[in-house]
Amino acid sequence: MKRFHDFHPIVTFSYYIGALTLFIMLLHPVFLAAGFLLILAIHYMDDRCRGLQRWFFFMLTTGLFVLVLNPVFNERGMNLLFTVGSHRVTLEAVVYGGMSGISIIGIMAVFVSYNVVMSPNKLLFLFAKVLPRFAVLLMLTLRFIPLMRKRLTEIGDVQVSKGLSVREGTLKERGKNAMGHIQVLLTYSLEEALQTADSMKARGYGYSGRSSYQHFVIKRSDIAALLYMFVLLAILAYGRLHGYGWLEIYPVMEAFTFPRKEAVLLAAHCLFIGFPLIVETGEYISWRILN
Amino acid sequence: MAYIELKNVTFSYPDANQPAVKNLSLTVEKGSFTLLFGSSGSGKSTLLRLLKKEIEPNGSFSGEVLIDGEPTSETGGGKVGFVFQDPENQVVADTVLHELVFGLENMGLKTAEMRNRVAEMVHFFGAEPLLHRKVEELSGGKKQQMNLASVLLMQPEILLLDEPTAQLDPVSAREFTNMLVRLNEEFGMTIIVAEHRLEDFMGVAGKVVMMERGEAIFAGPPEECMEALWKSEKRAFIPSLPAFFMSVGGKGRVPLNVRDARKWFTSSDISVTGKAAGNKKSQAKSQTVLTVENVQFSYEKEGATILKGLDFSVEKGSFYTMLGGNGSGKSTFLKIIAGIHAPQKGKVTLNGTRLKRLKREEIASAIGYLPQNPKLFFLHDTVGKELESTAEKWGKDFEDAFAIAKRLGIDHLLASHPYDVSGGEIQKAALACILLRSPQILLLDEPTKGLDAVSKKELAKLLLECKSEGKIILMATHDVEFAAKYANRCGMMFQGIITSESPPETFFKGSFFYTTMIQKLFRQVDGGEAVTVEEAVRQCSADPLQPRSS
Repeated sequence: MKRFHDFHPIVTFSYYIGALTLFIMLLHPVFLAAGFLLILAIHYMDDRCRGLQRWFFFMLTTGLFVLVLNPVFNERGMNLLFTVGSHRVTLEAVVYGGMSGISIIGIMAVFVSYNVVMSPNKLLFLFAKVLPRFAVLLMLTLRFIPLMRKRLTEIGDVQVSKGLSVREGTLKERGKNAMGHIQVLLTYSLEEALQTADSMKARGYGYSGRSSYQHFVIKRSDIAALLYMFVLLAILAYGRLHGYGWLEIYPVMEAFTFPRKEAVLLAAHCLFIGFPLIVETGEYISWRILN
Repeated sequence: MAYIELKNVTFSYPDANQPAVKNLSLTVEKGSFTLLFGSSGSGKSTLLRLLKKEIEPNGSFSGEVLIDGEPTSETGGGKVGFVFQDPENQVVADTVLHELVFGLENMGLKTAEMRNRVAEMVHFFGAEPLLHRKVEELSGGKKQQMNLASVLLMQPEILLLDEPTAQLDPVSAREFTNMLVRLNEEFGMTIIVAEHRLEDFMGVAGKVVMMERGEAIFAGPPEECMEALWKSEKRAFIPSLPAFFMSVGGKGRVPLNVRDARKWFTSSDISVTGKAAGNKKSQAKSQTVLTVENVQFSYEKEGATILKGLDFSVEKGSFYTMLGGNGSGKSTFLKIIAGIHAPQKGKVTLNGTRLKRLKREEIASAIGYLPQNPKLFFLHDTVGKELESTAEKWGKDFEDAFAIAKRLGIDHLLASHPYDVSGGEIQKAALACILLRSPQILLLDEPTKGLDAVSKKELAKLLLECKSEGKIILMATHDVEFAAKYANRCGMMFQGIITSESPPETFFKGSFFYTTMIQKLFRQVDGGEAVTVEEAVRQCSADPLQPRSS
């Protein structure tokens, strides 16, 4: 997914926002299933689903949980499937639960991909222009989290050599030692942060208006991508407002038909979610032709 | 006309008994390279900070600081760049590029302008491959270069550096120093640097200023300074080459680097006659206390192996120094001996018992570990409380603790916060806590890092005392001069094993880079086998002037 990674952050950011919106707004089994399959394909193309594997169990359980929970608590609906004791399990509830389940795991899959593609750098870049102070804060946080973790390990190491371990002794002793470590970490980090503050001041922080170094430039392909996504989103929004791409369940479940207009909308949906795939395939073909 | 001018500057911190800078007058020419030195707490940092308005310390100030004829309070510090001591703490951003442009963004420059400057600077430093790396992945030396680059991007006319190489290993420090020399020579940048690492800087500075208790007690060319110091009691500050020159009563210009020293030496009528080794008796084999056999270790399961089948043993009463580059595994090795990490393979035996069979407390009572950063050692907010709790944990009286503190000369610091005392003092405070446990083995990780000449001497004295009590001292260090002077055994760590091991006399003789200045001077002299100044002096005079200090 090299080409997609290389887009201007505003493009990737818009894509993910759009994809999330679609997964939330278009609650229709066909749309959801198509979207989910495309996201899986994107993951496969990016890293053979390796990033997704870590979340696989969590996603599966959450999906199943939602699927099961809805019929358990929701008895509304006309089409009775079966009854357990006095509990009615309706088709509406099952379908609704299924759709919510796919929607949620779809959203999670989108987020996993977002995390891979939108590096903190890109996010920082997006916010640096609008909220410069926030950007500095974010930058410092990004730096300090690993730093604090490293320091805490170092403190632990040194204290172990003194015979004070957080892994041995009674619970009370361990707790006391751990609190001690945190205290040292905080005092030490504050002390060191004074030097960071000096270094920031010495480089003129907070004296005049801050600008931001942009290492991303908007190119024509970025504008084209933005236009492409905007047009598709406009079509989808129009369709959604006219009642397509959405399965009505309550009060009365609509008959499961798939009119032509809905098919057009589905195409737009797939073209939007599948945007990274299209970009990559295009890149691959042009690469093959050129070489 | 002088470019930077200080007139009768006096400055004191609030609640301080004495002024940090006292009635100091100094002039610095444009395009000069000035070295500030003196023991810790002599006011070097304060003086530097007074030259940069943004980080001026708070306190009472009198006198005048003029840069280019204008007082700093009016011009601001835009012309002045400042690099701090700790490579880690001055970093703001998580990637190299963000860090580099931090200052430029603060100036509100346009992107195009920033790009130009960054492109140029990256080229100058040859740092292109590092640009998108995370800051944590860089070594200390590279980090410090990045900090320098970030300051240089703002195009200062004056560069102030507060002990910039104190935390670096000698190779990186050398590289950093050369960078400064290049900036000074090629771009005429005015540089003022405060440092303890005089071996490197004395030879490159055009002017040196020695400070003591806030006063500049000497200011002038380094050669004259060496002569003046030799006549005073502050000989500890003289690097080994000029010290040798003056010990044998050399004539002419004081040599500050190996080239000049060799020129002087060959033209002089000094001949190598005596034996270097003096009357050092070869140590009788004594009892082996600690053995390490075939130890393998890596931090992560899939990660790189740090120690690869290391064998090692140390006898009672040894002073062992371990040398080796960054990342060769010295620190890791010390941590394994201290029982902090358990090796994946191999065994560590202490007095015949496997280390892993011992309880944490048993290990701690036999082995004391002083980390590279002694600040992490303290859990309590005063030195006294830390000593007290150590005494309590190990069943000692507070009198014992006080006696040790007194012996180490830190009894006046018991009420101070450990972070408020100097680098040498905090180290002694940590050592006091360790010695209270009366361990058999002392492990020290880079104990001479950032110490001034006087503190180093005191540390050596203390360690030699411990050694004479029969304790084993095992230290990892980059400080070749220190190792040559005080150790009785040196080992070279390379790629996870100890590749060579011998007494310092023979150890350094074979090395080319990893050796002392004196050895570099004597390498091509027939019969020259001296490694330290004392040995050199002894070799060059028929009857030994002073016995070797060990």
